Amino acid sequence: MKKLMNSADDFVDEMLDGLVAAHPSLVREERVIRTTQGAKSGKVGIVSGGGSGHLPLFTGYVGRGLLDACAIGDVFAGPSVDSCMAAIRAADSGQGVLRLYGNYGGDRMNFDLAGELLEADGVRTTTVLGTDDIASAGPEDMHKRRGVAGIIYAYKIAGAKAEVGASLDEVTAAAAKAVARCRTIGVALSPCQIPGASKPTFEIGPDEIEMGMGIHGEPGIWRDKLRPADRIADEMLDRLLADPVEHSSKRVSVLVNSLGATPLEELFILYRRIAQQLAGRGLTVVQPLVGHYATSMEMAGCSVSILSLDEELESLLGAPAECPFWRV
Amino acid sequence: MGLTAHTLRHAVAQAAESARRAEDELNAADGKVGDGDTGVMLRRLFEKLSAAASPDQEDIGAVFQSLGAASASATGSSLGTLVTVSMLTLAKETRGRSELPWGEFGSALQKVRDVMMARGGATLGDKTVVDVLDAVATAIDGLADPREIYARAWLVTVNTLDAFRDKPNRLGRARMFAEKSIGLDDPGMLAFSRLLEGLEPQNVR
Repeated sequence: MKKLMNSADDFVDEMLDGLVAAHPSLVREERVIRTTQGAKSGKVGIVSGGGSGHLPLFTGYVGRGLLDACAIGDVFAGPSVDSCMAAIRAADSGQGVLRLYGNYGGDRMNFDLAGELLEADGVRTTTVLGTDDIASAGPEDMHKRRGVAGIIYAYKIAGAKAEVGASLDEVTAAAAKAVARCRTIGVALSPCQIPGASKPTFEIGPDEIEMGMGIHGEPGIWRDKLRPADRIADEMLDRLLADPVEHSSKRVSVLVNSLGATPLEELFILYRRIAQQLAGRGLTVVQPLVGHYATSMEMAGCSVSILSLDEELESLLGAPAECPFWRV
Repeated sequence: MGLTAHTLRHAVAQAAESARRAEDELNAADGKVGDGDTGVMLRRLFEKLSAAASPDQEDIGAVFQSLGAASASATGSSLGTLVTVSMLTLAKETRGRSELPWGEFGSALQKVRDVMMARGGATLGDKTVVDVLDAVATAIDGLADPREIYARAWLVTVNTLDAFRDKPNRLGRARMFAEKSIGLDDPGMLAFSRLLEGLEPQNVR
């Protein structure tokens, strides 16, 4: 696959240099991106992290009312233990730090090890894992699900909670509630390729799609011929709404997210249908999001996330926040 | 006699060269059920490790510690993090010593295996690097002659790759393609074999 890059080895570092050059609100320290002003006194810190290749996830959500720092790894590889430790330190003002990241084995290993090593320094941390991908495991194995685009809702909710001076336990609980009430499903049209890798992350026919495929090409639910957008939207919505959410409400936020190559035009075609269908089911959409929020480089496809709101979540979702890719 | 700081540095340099040579092969092996980047990750990691193995240290524990620190900084891939915890485990085992006697090498590898299993969540039989490490640690347990250790290690490595080739992967991304992984070498196990192979001056294949 063709890529605009100088070398595979420099891909991530040069990307990060460009990110902070374009956004002066961000500072880069090796493989950590943090806010220019650093940890805010008296506020619980929130860190995330993961592999590169998913911009705006993860580093793009560092900002006021969202993440304080982010550890970033090579493309589709977890952040190093050192980066995780540095991000936690950068976010810590003494009130403790929430580690909020997707449920992937490598990320868990590194953030867990970082937390254990920092315990000796008296840094208190908690963990909430993004587990919104309903295609990755059934409702009975919710804890095995992977985290995908819906984690940005948890960033927003936890970030807003921390901004009002909540304790680490309260911020953790808010993030956990957002994760518990968020569901995502993706559909893939074509793959991407890791810089330096031997081949694309998966193979798919030119006229095929795969429902439920993960953002690294993890296998989905079915693979079949491409069909009209409305039929795809209907199935995604049916699957999302059929997945049980405790205390679900009639007010939801919806995120229609491009996996990279799929243009806004196609996202709006999908959102149009989703909005119609939700209205038909008596659901009110609050703060819809349509765009590139969690991608896989040049992968084509999209994901749809639904966050079931309660009064607290709706208030936190609407609270002011600002990062390079999301302003409320 | 045993493993000294000097022989460890030499081994890391050889491993870096092996990783460079095996980059394309490992990428291709990983590409069949994974992201296709095991080779590039391992080559980058061992370049950093080779650079981090300070020529001044005589304390073998200190060399392992610097290798662990370099690995912790260099990569966050699952396989890389297992290298990190391995180095830190060996650092703890050998701190303050000028050598690790060959007779203790097997038991040290058993500790590494246990730490890898605890950190990575693998169990024996999952078809991961832990399986080949377990086979080697068991086979060389109590041996004190480095030539015999190497010969036994190589033999069980080849045998373990053969034994697992037709089994499905049960951990990591490859587990999602369990049926497809039958008939393929696990990239982590294959990487172990290529690094071990490179420690011998003569090509033993």
